[in-house]
Amino acid sequence: MTESRDPLDSLIETLKEPVRLRPDLTRRVMAAIADDPAMATEHKPVRWWRREWTIRVTPVRLLATAAGLAGLVVTGQFLFRPAVKPASSVAGSEASNRLTQFVLVAPEAAAVTLVGDFNDWNVGATPLVRSVGDGVWSVTVPLAPGRYRYAFVVNGTVWRGDPEAPGLEDDFGQPNSVVTIGGA
Amino acid sequence: MTAESDGRLLERVRAGDREAYALLVDRYQDRLGRYAVRMLGNQADAEEALQDTFVRAFRSLANCTRPEGFGAWVFGILVNRCRTYAARRIRADGIIVTNDDAVGRAAVPHSEERDAIRDAIGWALGQLPAEQREAFLLKHVEDLSYDSMEAMTGVRAASLRMRVFRAREELRKLLAETVRD
Repeated sequence: MTESRDPLDSLIETLKEPVRLRPDLTRRVMAAIADDPAMATEHKPVRWWRREWTIRVTPVRLLATAAGLAGLVVTGQFLFRPAVKPASSVAGSEASNRLTQFVLVAPEAAAVTLVGDFNDWNVGATPLVRSVGDGVWSVTVPLAPGRYRYAFVVNGTVWRGDPEAPGLEDDFGQPNSVVTIGGA
Repeated sequence: MTAESDGRLLERVRAGDREAYALLVDRYQDRLGRYAVRMLGNQADAEEALQDTFVRAFRSLANCTRPEGFGAWVFGILVNRCRTYAARRIRADGIIVTNDDAVGRAAVPHSEERDAIRDAIGWALGQLPAEQREAFLLKHVEDLSYDSMEAMTGVRAASLRMRVFRAREELRKLLAETVRD
């Protein structure tokens, strides 16, 4: 009697088989970490990020940004506006970083996060804060000079690019925007 | 002896113990490596993406807000690194991925027939658009829920379901072609 097995089951079973990797991967990773100048001080990234997380945009500043965006609001549409403001330098060794404010006018949103090259596109890493009484969401991120792709994620699922910023689609058809931070 | 949890190891890393990070790399490299090899279809690119992932993860450990979820978090970084490497390959070679060596070479050899099946599977997987291959691997090889996939990829669950469905249909068709040939 012929066995009738779904060929996809065989395919999946095969794909689940282990792969052979170079045995020195861990050593190479640890060497790369050790050689990275950014890793010169233990926990520098941790302290750096935690310190920056305490930076919050004041409601007044948010409202000012919202006013600047008011003309861009279109009924029934989310509008996104990254306010790229090299407002001040970060103290200490991050002196070349620029505080970059990303603002989203999204009254309907329950949650908004920022994803981009600067946070490994981690959906949960950089939430925007909603100012009381309006639909303005914002977050300020210290960015080193360079070019970054980014997008907003609304309610954890809907990716939105910024119609006002240079944009492009990623390899998966998701809208991305681009922000360039000037040199020090 | 009970292995230390991811959360405990992360505590040690954050306290300055880099060797604890090496243990995390050891713990996750096989699973992540399998995904990278299947996704990129190229052993060298997969290993580079994997190393890059672990280095970036170390730099961004402060963003891992749920230490016990380190595995899922670092997997999300790998998914994005693979997207970048796949795109780089498109730009460099004008093709999505090659599947000429990774799946067949990486898997444990059993027999000629098994190798032939593996080659066919590798070829079929390489024919899928990258987004379908990604969704298919995460769902059926990594056994992730659609909720987890959504959190990891930033793609809506409904879209992921459609991608998996289309991938399955396409793979059935492609495998049937290899049988006919």
